[in-house]
Amino acid sequence: MLLSSTVDSTSTHTMDKSITLPPDEIFRNLENAKRFAIDIGGSLTKLAYYSTVQHKVAKVRSFDVLFVSVSQEAASDKLYEISVQEEVTARLHFIKFENAYIETCLDFIKDHLVNTETKVIKATGGGAHKFKELIERKLGLKVDKEDEMTCLIKGCNFVLRNIPHEAFVYAKHADSEFRFQTTHPDIFPYLLVNIGSGVSIVKVESEDKFERIGGSSIGGGTFWGLGALLTKTKRFDELLQLASKGQHTSVDMLVKDIYGGSYGSLGLTGDLIASSFGKSATADKEFSKEDMAKSLLHMISNDIGQLACLYAKLHNLSRVYFGGFFIRGHPVTMHTITYSINFFTKGEVQALFLRHEGYLGAIGAFLKGAEEDNPNQYSWGENYAGSSGLMSVSPDMNPMQRARSGTFDMLEMDRLERQLVNLPLLQDPSSYIPDTVDLTEDALAREYWLYCFEEALDGVVKRAVASQPDIPEATERAEKFRQKYRHKLQTLRHQPL
Amino acid sequence: MAECVRVDSSTSTHTMDKSITLPPDEIFRNLENAKRFAIDIGGSLTKLAYYSTVQHKVAKVRSFEHNTKEAASDKLYEISVQEEVTARLHFIKFENAYIETCLDFIKDHLVNTETKVIKATGGGAHKFKELIERKLGLKVDKEDEMTCLIKGCNFVLRNIPHEAFVYAKHADSEFRFQTTHPDIFPYLLVNIGSGVSIVKVESEDKFERIGGSSIGGGTFWGLGALLTKTKRFDELLQLASKGQHTSVDMLVKDIYGGSYGSLGLTGDLIASSFGKSATADKEFSKEDMAKSLLHMISNDIGQLACLYAKLHNLSRVYFGGFFIRGHPVTMHTITYSINFFTKGEVQALFLRHEGYLGAIGAFLKGAEEDNPNQYSWGENYAGSSGLMSVSPDMNPMQRARSGTFDMLEMDRLERQLVNLPLLQDPSSYIPDTVDLTEDALAREYWLYCFEEALDGVVKRAVASQPDIPEATERAEKFRQKYRHKLQTLRHQPFAYGSLTVRSLLDTREHCLNEFNFPDPYSKIKQRENDVALKYYQKAVKSLEELSWEQRQFALVRGVLAGNVFDWGAKAVSDVLESDPEFGFEEAKRQLEERPWLVDSYDQWLERLKGPPHKCALFFVDNSGVDIILGVMPFVRELLSRGTEVVLASNSGPALNDVTNGELQILTERIAAMDPVIQAGLREDRLTLVQSGSSSPCLDLSRLDKVLAMVVRERQTDLVIIEGMGRAIHTNYYAMLSCESLKMAVIKNSWLADRLGGKLFSVVFKYEVPAGKPSQDSAALTPS
Repeated sequence: MLLSSTVDSTSTHTMDKSITLPPDEIFRNLENAKRFAIDIGGSLTKLAYYSTVQHKVAKVRSFDVLFVSVSQEAASDKLYEISVQEEVTARLHFIKFENAYIETCLDFIKDHLVNTETKVIKATGGGAHKFKELIERKLGLKVDKEDEMTCLIKGCNFVLRNIPHEAFVYAKHADSEFRFQTTHPDIFPYLLVNIGSGVSIVKVESEDKFERIGGSSIGGGTFWGLGALLTKTKRFDELLQLASKGQHTSVDMLVKDIYGGSYGSLGLTGDLIASSFGKSATADKEFSKEDMAKSLLHMISNDIGQLACLYAKLHNLSRVYFGGFFIRGHPVTMHTITYSINFFTKGEVQALFLRHEGYLGAIGAFLKGAEEDNPNQYSWGENYAGSSGLMSVSPDMNPMQRARSGTFDMLEMDRLERQLVNLPLLQDPSSYIPDTVDLTEDALAREYWLYCFEEALDGVVKRAVASQPDIPEATERAEKFRQKYRHKLQTLRHQPL
Repeated sequence: MAECVRVDSSTSTHTMDKSITLPPDEIFRNLENAKRFAIDIGGSLTKLAYYSTVQHKVAKVRSFEHNTKEAASDKLYEISVQEEVTARLHFIKFENAYIETCLDFIKDHLVNTETKVIKATGGGAHKFKELIERKLGLKVDKEDEMTCLIKGCNFVLRNIPHEAFVYAKHADSEFRFQTTHPDIFPYLLVNIGSGVSIVKVESEDKFERIGGSSIGGGTFWGLGALLTKTKRFDELLQLASKGQHTSVDMLVKDIYGGSYGSLGLTGDLIASSFGKSATADKEFSKEDMAKSLLHMISNDIGQLACLYAKLHNLSRVYFGGFFIRGHPVTMHTITYSINFFTKGEVQALFLRHEGYLGAIGAFLKGAEEDNPNQYSWGENYAGSSGLMSVSPDMNPMQRARSGTFDMLEMDRLERQLVNLPLLQDPSSYIPDTVDLTEDALAREYWLYCFEEALDGVVKRAVASQPDIPEATERAEKFRQKYRHKLQTLRHQPFAYGSLTVRSLLDTREHCLNEFNFPDPYSKIKQRENDVALKYYQKAVKSLEELSWEQRQFALVRGVLAGNVFDWGAKAVSDVLESDPEFGFEEAKRQLEERPWLVDSYDQWLERLKGPPHKCALFFVDNSGVDIILGVMPFVRELLSRGTEVVLASNSGPALNDVTNGELQILTERIAAMDPVIQAGLREDRLTLVQSGSSSPCLDLSRLDKVLAMVVRERQTDLVIIEGMGRAIHTNYYAMLSCESLKMAVIKNSWLADRLGGKLFSVVFKYEVPAGKPSQDSAALTPS
């Protein structure tokens, strides 16, 4: 009745799918990478590494008094000197790809990994032991297994603490599907409901204290497994797609199917599902794949929702985060889980989801390996340039467009030089929202500002080139910047979140 | 997330005209006088309830009137068989397919009823409304399903001993029946029909559906049908019972290669139901899929039930609904799940008559003006089918319900039954000493013993009605019925709750009554009472000649010797049959010499040297020598000491036990000869009460309300229980809050053997409750 990993579907896949990895885009900064961690789930691998990034910083310096006479000629009438220096900063890289590419990726890493003193790779996830030998052989690193749940919780604590707007509420029919939550200074206690093959319900009380207080064997694996048996559809995403098109009422027995209407004295509305698959018990007709998948999805989501609510009530917890591959950005499952939580708690508890939920295990494993560096004593910031962002989950889009095959999802976090905290004078840090207008919720304003930033892009590029008059390839880099930023703006137009 | 009803699609595909011939003797009994009907129509089964009056013969004793002396000859009293009308509740369960046949049958047999209305509940009620109204000419009056269910549940929990049980598949006894708690509230009822309803019941009228789930019996059935192409619920269960869930489910060890120690998850735990079928390309067997489905659903419901029980702080959780209904497979998986999730803190409880709850409740709703809750009711073992066979050895299909009619009959008891106020802990009191469902050897013996004795009982029954020619025929019917019950019990010892010597005896009494042998021993008792009475004065006189200390011992020996006269015990009935002259003195000689098998006589004697008891309650046993020459002199001595005495005897006949009616007459006769007894009666220091029972055994938790009142009023401080049935088969371990004295002679060699004694070994067990400043109490267990 647990866990985040699924059985190893990849074992039936071939490992040698050859893809060409574009080194500029993924596995960035591999040269200086150290401290690797890997989280191998049932279908996806998440790789984490720490690397230092050399990049140019503009420094200003007051002219030195001693040198005033010597450099008189250069100083002219300027107040201070501007110099561009190389600076080395720390960055965390997280990459997610299908298990099918694991061998290709390992080869790539081996070829690009230059000067590392790393001897060990931290590994977690149910698939870790299956690929242990392969990793050790390819990378020459010793695989060091870390407890999956500990990694998951560590990762969760890390993103909740370090990534603003990490958690969000999903509301399918609202103006904005996603309502991001401000980061609470105090993230504990919370309930994490991890829906992998099975379900683990974990109460997290502090950085180091958590307990698996419950679980269920009815999870993502059940949706996948039963769905495959019922519909002969073997792919998880396809099953979700089927479900999103089905009508559960043709398979489920509703309260009104039994009582002809609502059961008023018990407060049960007529449309309530009285019995999942109740109609298929005795009807002799064939049911459509879509309808069965939908009924299955409701059954499982409602069940998990109810269990989560009961555990939240029993342990007096109001923050409930959902994760695991069943959830991972799927609007269908986020919707049904949210619906179920609302139903069972009458709105008292909100279902919260995490933007980087898929990386939690890898982040946690990485943190375990980096404990001597005290990563928790630094503040980290998401690097928007190097991160892929939440996948498009607009209901209008064909879910198949988001198929994961061949896509590499990335998250990069920069270590900030100084630790960041609240201004102690904030009246209520937990309700403080820096931004005045949330463009995700205000479509008109969003339109305007996106247009505005796109308009301004030419000017910014021009200014960038002009800032480095002595460097010939500045134009080329400025063009790359233009492309990247324009792409981000376009992405944001479609996925404001 | 609801309900107990199945949608009615199954029956709509059936034809309604399956013609069956209904045997009127056996089902729909006593229809002629039926009134107040109620019907609960589920998705596949219909449960019909009606109230009817039953005329049956009772043996009455009456003192000869003084002006009709000429008829009296030398007999003490007159025995007459009278017709008595008692109230009985009938519950019948049959497949919906038979509903039309049944309605026709009822219409044809329903004679003189003034009933205008039939109470109906269940999801199917509205589908058959028109049919019922047309066939029976009764107006269908719908009652709320959940209310009926809860009402019915309260009723059975309150009125049927051993209604609730714990299921333990691998235990020595599959079923462990629970004693009826005086206070049944609060409890959680988890009704698993198509969906699941979780209801918290706080009092007779207050309940709340606190939760539910759409994953219920309909899900098992529906998904099971889709996965296995098997359409019948029972067949699906059968498939499940043969499957291996591990080939379909992903276990913890399938992911982690073993247990997940740091989370406390064992390797065999199901991590993901159907997890293996997500990616494996192989075909799965129907059995394995059905098993996996069963586990998935049972575990889920179990977890939900536990969470709600914890949230609402409830420790009693009953499971019902068609998903459960007597199916060992589902009871096992639910029990397993509850044990797993609560680590044993909560027990899954099931109900023997779970399928009838809705019908019982609907009936009670209709009968509210009769105040059915103010009466006590008792299950009639003769007319009830008993729990279905659920032995795992038996082919589950043998218990297929098609065409079978399951019945429950409950007799309204004339008097309300309550606990003896002197029980130390009513909630833990268990009347029976040996639970034969748990003790296979003892069960074998007693079943054999009762079967052996059957010929004798039949012979006696016939002999008791010498002038009635068809008595032989009825006796034969009795023989068949009781033998059939014994055979059923051999295979399903749990059919009527815990199997005990008491339940075997009670079942026999119920069957005898059923065939109008209300009191086969009446004439024998009469003769014995006559004879014994003649020796009364002589016996008293010889006792009075003894010294005080000698007399005390002689009185005890007298009670014990008197107790040897017992037609209920096989060893004794053999002797009595062969040698009717077997006398009181002979019996004394047969008695074991001291030290007895259980012997606290010395403590008793010490106690007698102290101040007299305020009031003694004496549960008496047999007619004849026992009551007249054994008990009465003992009572006389108590009265002389200044102790008030309450004599409690059976309300109705059982074997040769003296009934309250007989004892009234006997006591008057003795009073006429004995001034001490006479003074006792006159001064109201000797009182006769009825126990409320018609059993050779004694259940101290179901006693006549008047008895309880008298006991309380008189500040009773001594309880005397006499005889094997009342002091050994039952109450041997009963703990009372006052002094108690249990006296019996073991008249069964097997039992004697068991207790480490021999035939005619004596149990004399005088106990003082802990904390009372008095002499040492006797050892609780025999040496």
